[in-house]
Amino acid sequence: MTRASVVGAGMTTFGVHESTLAELFATAALDAYDDAGVGPDDVDAFYFGNAMGGQTENDTHLAPKLASEVGIAGVPAQRFEDACATSATAFKNAVQAVEAGIHDTVLVGGVERCTPETGLGTGEMTRIFASASHRQYEQPTGLTFPGVFALLTKRHMHEYGTTEEQLAHVAVKNHANGQRNPRAHFGRELTVEDVLESPVVADPFHLMDCCPFSDGASALVVTSDERADSYDDPVDVTGVGHATDIVPLSAKPVPHATQAARDAAAGAYEQADVTADAMDFAEVHDCFTGAEVMASEAIGFFEDGEGGPAAAEGRSALDGDRPINPSGGLKAKGHPIGATGAAQIVELTEQLRGDAGDRQVEGAERAVAHNLGGDAGTTVVSVVEVRS
Amino acid sequence: MSLSYDEWAASLREGTLLGVTCADCGTTYGTPFSVCNECGGRDLDATDLPEDGEVYSVTTVNVPPVGFEGPYQVALVQVGPARVTARIADDDEVDIGDGVVLDGAMEADDGHPAPVFRRA
Repeated sequence: MTRASVVGAGMTTFGVHESTLAELFATAALDAYDDAGVGPDDVDAFYFGNAMGGQTENDTHLAPKLASEVGIAGVPAQRFEDACATSATAFKNAVQAVEAGIHDTVLVGGVERCTPETGLGTGEMTRIFASASHRQYEQPTGLTFPGVFALLTKRHMHEYGTTEEQLAHVAVKNHANGQRNPRAHFGRELTVEDVLESPVVADPFHLMDCCPFSDGASALVVTSDERADSYDDPVDVTGVGHATDIVPLSAKPVPHATQAARDAAAGAYEQADVTADAMDFAEVHDCFTGAEVMASEAIGFFEDGEGGPAAAEGRSALDGDRPINPSGGLKAKGHPIGATGAAQIVELTEQLRGDAGDRQVEGAERAVAHNLGGDAGTTVVSVVEVRS
Repeated sequence: MSLSYDEWAASLREGTLLGVTCADCGTTYGTPFSVCNECGGRDLDATDLPEDGEVYSVTTVNVPPVGFEGPYQVALVQVGPARVTARIADDDEVDIGDGVVLDGAMEADDGHPAPVFRRA
């Protein structure tokens, strides 16, 4: 059943941007307006994601500020923060509000700046990212976010024999896809050796196993099922699952299972009345190569323990039987924290419309997005389909 | 009365790693919670965790946040029925499955302690 429809999608390039948060977000929002053919008068509410603006740019209470920037001052506007799942949570709430008849048409999206344009270096930004780990029981150890996913991945390797070479194949594949995405931060020919020879950030992750710090913004216009017919090329949201897992990592019974993702995926598939097998591709939260392997199993694309071999065999490549991250993913497209979740829905929208150019998944009619936040504490999984 | 963070931290500074055990369902956690996530019970009694543990997962952090100097190892350590996130002592290097023993606490520059384990 259609819960809401996406009728407009826009995003900036992900990379390095000198503009203000407001101007950066406006670039994406105006793209989404134009794509939908709407203006500010058509927007009833604003659901907005930003994770770290208070820490990185001394900029808070951003929802009304950005609403004013894009001409919708006056509408109800609120900011969502769930670490890297920030704008997927905003999207979920927008879908629910439209479905419930609270608002007819909602602007939803996110923005973040994470590069040295903020004035912060790697060590300072690493500390800010680590603020999403447990304040008392994780941060004092000096745990970083590469470290969080390294702990999960190392156990996955121990349990299933997942190898560093298999992880490297994820990076190679996503960089190859990124080459086909004009808005990607990175994208170049990369070999497994290039990944394995890059410096170690937190073992087993080399620098090329890690997504970059990026600046960027994304935006969507979401409207009700009934109204969507009056727009060109709507795509339907049929499921949005949202789950949390216990924090800190040490309290998770099986950390590498990423239980929140399994629960969120089960919820999304159940709402959409589909199974993982019905998905033509996935955009997943590959902040690190190991995160993509665990996500690919959690959303049911591969059996537990098969995510690594599947990546190495090319099954998740653009021309594989289970394509994952045709956009290049966080790894190559980039990861401006608060913009990432909505940007995944932008990619799903363009693919399902057949507008993804060189990275088009042939004949894609149904796809799933997986956006994870914190130390696997939050996951939002969304199913989007071609309008029938 | 549940174990507070301050009590957990004070105990750790004195060399004892405390967890909590739910009086209703028996689940043990390596860190305090106000309510049991298994059964909803509020009666979480402080429990001495063993000093001997086993490395459940571990990574070497080469790119630390400000306030820390790398490289160093951070591990999930299985201590009896619970796990904790801990530092491995400098000059030691451990892998999954290795036996480790509690070696006191370190304190980050913000004053919060973290358990430290060394190779058994």
